[in-house]
Amino acid sequence: MSTVSRRPHGALIFVTSIVTLLSSSALAQEADAGTPDAGAAPEAPAELSPEELEEIQKALGSDAQEAQQNAPAGTASAPQSSPGGSGLSLPGIGNTSGTNFLDLSFILDVAAAGFSSKEPLQGGAHDPTRNGFNLQQLELSIGSVVDPYFRFDSNIVFSQFGVEIEEAYGTTLALPYNLQVRAGQFLTRFGRINPTHPHAWDFVDQPFAASRIFGGEGNRGLGTELSWLTPLPWYVELIGSLTDASGEATARSFLGSSGDRVLSPLDLQALGAVKQFFPLTDDLSLMWGLSAATGPNPTGYRNRTDIFGTDIYLRYRPITDGGNPTLITFTAEGYYRRRQVPDDVLTDFNTYAQAAWRFDQRWATALRYELGTPARGENGAEVTDPLDPDWTEDRQRISANVTFWPTEFSRLRLQGATDRVGWRESPDYSVFLALELVTGAHGAHAF
Amino acid sequence: MRHFRLLAALCAAITVFTAAPARAALNVVTTVPDLAALTKAVGGEHVQVQALALSSQDPHFVDAKPNLALALNRADLLISIGLDLEIGWLPTLQVGARNPKIQVGGTGFLNASQFPRILEIPPGKVDRSQGDVHPGGNPHYLYDPRQALAVAKGITDRLVQLDAKNADAYRANLAKFTTELEQARAGWEKRLAGLKGAPVIAYHRTTAYLADWLGFETIAFLEPKPGIPPNPAHVAGVLAQGRQRKARMLLVESYYPDTTAKLVASKIPAPLVTIHGGTDFRAGETYIQHINEMVERMEKALAGQGS
Repeated sequence: MSTVSRRPHGALIFVTSIVTLLSSSALAQEADAGTPDAGAAPEAPAELSPEELEEIQKALGSDAQEAQQNAPAGTASAPQSSPGGSGLSLPGIGNTSGTNFLDLSFILDVAAAGFSSKEPLQGGAHDPTRNGFNLQQLELSIGSVVDPYFRFDSNIVFSQFGVEIEEAYGTTLALPYNLQVRAGQFLTRFGRINPTHPHAWDFVDQPFAASRIFGGEGNRGLGTELSWLTPLPWYVELIGSLTDASGEATARSFLGSSGDRVLSPLDLQALGAVKQFFPLTDDLSLMWGLSAATGPNPTGYRNRTDIFGTDIYLRYRPITDGGNPTLITFTAEGYYRRRQVPDDVLTDFNTYAQAAWRFDQRWATALRYELGTPARGENGAEVTDPLDPDWTEDRQRISANVTFWPTEFSRLRLQGATDRVGWRESPDYSVFLALELVTGAHGAHAF
Repeated sequence: MRHFRLLAALCAAITVFTAAPARAALNVVTTVPDLAALTKAVGGEHVQVQALALSSQDPHFVDAKPNLALALNRADLLISIGLDLEIGWLPTLQVGARNPKIQVGGTGFLNASQFPRILEIPPGKVDRSQGDVHPGGNPHYLYDPRQALAVAKGITDRLVQLDAKNADAYRANLAKFTTELEQARAGWEKRLAGLKGAPVIAYHRTTAYLADWLGFETIAFLEPKPGIPPNPAHVAGVLAQGRQRKARMLLVESYYPDTTAKLVASKIPAPLVTIHGGTDFRAGETYIQHINEMVERMEKALAGQGS
């Protein structure tokens, strides 16, 4: 850093120092690998001479050649038997022999619902949508480590009339430089609520911002994601992903159901996000995210949609006070959307803020406020939104609920809401009683 | 110019912070503080140890905070209790850590449950109607210093394997720790000899190893089933049982709510003993000090005083 000239540009210094930092940490890694301290690490210890290393490489090379010659001609017949497994053994709980190849669990969400409106505005694909009983979802989640390099996760959702692959992706486990890649079909990591499933929600339904902007299923698609955990002293993760931009329920602000053909990388949805975490105290922590997504929309040649979002998550859990079951969380997320349409640029704003308070080991209550503005043109006037032609006024919704968990595997939730839909004559009211059951392997919870 | 100074200070701070943790030969992260204390006892100055959970925290329910993943990202060795104790949070952290060394099966991952003699392994098929049972057996083995010693030996072996240069130091530390612990244990057993065969009530199914070591009999649990909070009918039953069998004390971990336990203890009557869930490693407490404190509290209870 001392080599920087005397009248340096602030940004330049910062970049230089970051680069220095990175290279020094990379160097440190290499140095680590070289010292005998690393012991059983796969890297070669320093005592080996370059000649010896070369010999090892040569030997490995000829072994690999030999193995190739011995391999069967067709690649399809690769591994005939799974290691240690004889025949088909059904995995799951109670299997203590250590041969757990697959974690399998079912999550059932059902709800009884009542709406004051004939046509309730429930946009989420897992929301209760009609009077009476609703099957929100039956989710089969399967996950497992594939090999030392990959992990596999999938969520297959059964609805009353069909089956859908919600997510199915691989995650790398052993990339260098703190990199991680996900590939397959996945929910993108835009904001806080989008990558999550109903099991992790504090409410029976999802915020309407998500279904208005991305679609009922949330933003997801086939694609690939690269993320990097920076070597900074606090948690900073950078994420970039490239996914399919079509799907009425997954990318409605982009190509939606128009089914346009991909002709260049510009026809895909690109996403960038930064996640930062601050453990303010042992009891209080803060997560802050910034996200941006861009992709084509079908209203004209090279017309694009950009979505910018920020989210905060504040969590208070007094773990230093043993025996206190309190958990208070506050989540807020805002989305700003900008769409190029013929002769205009439409912008709108959607947000939600929610607070949840667990006051007993088994009981919690939560409150949520949501707002969505109508689309405005470049001159600031309200214009007709091609996706939601009715949305000519602000929409606000307030929801409150009480949750009871008999155990961590079951949940009952009573929720009431009032939907102040600006373009309707009177407010809508709704009430839900939802039951969730989780069975199978014990899932691990994300923060 | 002010901005430049600020930036320079920031850069300096970043450099200092990122450069600092590189002194010790091995950077070890353990799930619970008891394991951290054992690792420090045998690792000494050659290891830098950090525990993911606090001693005041229920190790079944730890938040997978991203800063914990950061700690794992920089770890050479991760030591867990195993037996599904950390199943609700550790896997998320391991995947998020981007550190191939500490994945299950890696040289930097040690499941400590392979060392102690595991109790309460369910004989047949289990399901969750029995509550939150651990299919592999009871994971609360570190309440028994004999099992802790077995774990300390296992940790030493792994440290030697990862850092052969300091092998002699690790072995010497283990020998010293073994002598100290065995000496202390003889004293503890003498002080708590009166517990042999005594009826005791506990809150959660954590006392198996303690009972096995000290010879008391756990006649009832305040939780009707593991992980299910007490209900009036069950508590009344426990109270009746406690009176009839003349329970000598009621044991509850500091991370469980204690109102019901206090009530039952006062109605039996029997002294209530609050056991710290783990070593307060961050405050510099050692494993031996932690067990000693627990023994003191139980000794007082034997004399009729609650704590």
